[in-house]
Amino acid sequence: MENILEVRQVCKAFPKTDFALENVSFSIPYGSIMGFVGENGAGKTTTIGCILNTVFKDSGTIRLFGKELSDADTELREDIGVVYDGDNFPAYWTAEQLAHVMGGLYKKWDDALFQKYLQELHLPPRQKIKHYSRGMSMKLAVAVALSHHPRLLILDEATSGLDPIMRDDMLDVFLDHVQEEDHAILLSSHITTDLEKVADYITFIHNGRIIMTASKNDLVYHFAVMRCKESQFLALDPADILAYRKRDLQIDVLVADGKAAQRRYRGPIVDHVSVDEIMLLLVKGERI
Amino acid sequence: MKGLLKNNFYAVRSSAKTLAVFMLLLGAFVTVVVSQQLLFFYMLLGIIGFSVNAAASMGKDYISKWGRYKLTLPVRRVDIVKSYFIEQLLWLLVGMIFAGAGMGLSWLFHGCPFDRGIDALMLFSAGSSISLFAGAIFFPLFYIGGEERNGAFLAISLLCAVGIVMGITTLINGMFGPGMTTVQTVLAAMLLLACSLMAFVLSYPVTTAIFERKEY
Repeated sequence: MENILEVRQVCKAFPKTDFALENVSFSIPYGSIMGFVGENGAGKTTTIGCILNTVFKDSGTIRLFGKELSDADTELREDIGVVYDGDNFPAYWTAEQLAHVMGGLYKKWDDALFQKYLQELHLPPRQKIKHYSRGMSMKLAVAVALSHHPRLLILDEATSGLDPIMRDDMLDVFLDHVQEEDHAILLSSHITTDLEKVADYITFIHNGRIIMTASKNDLVYHFAVMRCKESQFLALDPADILAYRKRDLQIDVLVADGKAAQRRYRGPIVDHVSVDEIMLLLVKGERI
Repeated sequence: MKGLLKNNFYAVRSSAKTLAVFMLLLGAFVTVVVSQQLLFFYMLLGIIGFSVNAAASMGKDYISKWGRYKLTLPVRRVDIVKSYFIEQLLWLLVGMIFAGAGMGLSWLFHGCPFDRGIDALMLFSAGSSISLFAGAIFFPLFYIGGEERNGAFLAISLLCAVGIVMGITTLINGMFGPGMTTVQTVLAAMLLLACSLMAFVLSYPVTTAIFERKEY
């Protein structure tokens, strides 16, 4: 078994809206961090809902640790830590009360570890959560998610709204988590710079469809954008074009192998491309 | 289950404390002043108030993402529903203790506050039945209609529960006629309690079935 999470051909329609997940497929190998990128409303949270069974998929399969998760699989959920964006816990609780509740829910709840996180992350245990800043609430949610020794962390926009220093602290915690070979993280975010720092793989989702999954190294070191004039664009082999976008007199073309493109086409400038730009080209650009 | 019950307790605790303080003050007044109507009111408020307050706190889970988060914890949906039903019974018990204490003290200081001692049983039965019927109606409505209508559903459930108890009491009165004997009063109290318990028990699988289809 190589993958901690496998999502295969998952579909989910919402009859009251036009939105639907269509054949969503990706997998996360053990020991890795998968970045899950897409604009707001692209389907990240719905996909995560399907994985966690808070939303029921219409078709497809989702295997966590090699098994389909059902409501009765409480043992499987012992191994999953979850962080949602925003208020994860009731505001009238304190971190201390939260620990009491979690201690009564998780068999593997490690109160000493939780107290250690509270201390390290400067979270007052007896202060009500409603008096925490947004950053503190998110840190608390991460501390809770880690304090029962989960193997898989699912983080839905867990770093959004945090300042760069806090985000960096959180990313260090995530990197620590995947030091264990049987651990992994699904990190949904639209802050692509975070993913560039920590992700091993990145999956792009748009309008409920997966538009690409690639290793971060490929994206950063091999993917490139060619800045073409119209005549240069017309001379390109369509097989080389992943997506393109017209911008005034220039056409930006996303290619999977920048060096090969540079060798093959002499005219256009070939630039490195950030994950942000890849997302923009895939989402706003056109495909052949 | 322990964690779920703690979760529910923390949700109710603050408002239950306020209600408990009010009940203590009202209880002290009730034991000093000799008023049958005031004692009835105090007892019904205790028996119904604590459990209704507990039901009202259910909506608090959904102000934050906690309602959704709970589904990712190692608990089954059926356990989440079960924890609310157990909690309702526990708070009913707390209310009965308050009501019993007030009645006991009043009885101790001023003699039997009822026309007949056995009427106390009928009052406990009526109060408990209202509480149980209200819970039986409220829990499925809460999951069918959405958490944001929590307050309205609770009011509707409570009014329906009062109506049902009045209806059953009228039927019992019609069956036994005026001036019930002690045995008939005990039977009437048991019958009322049995009906409400049955509704409460039946509501559990219905609520679970509804919750198991809910998406968050």
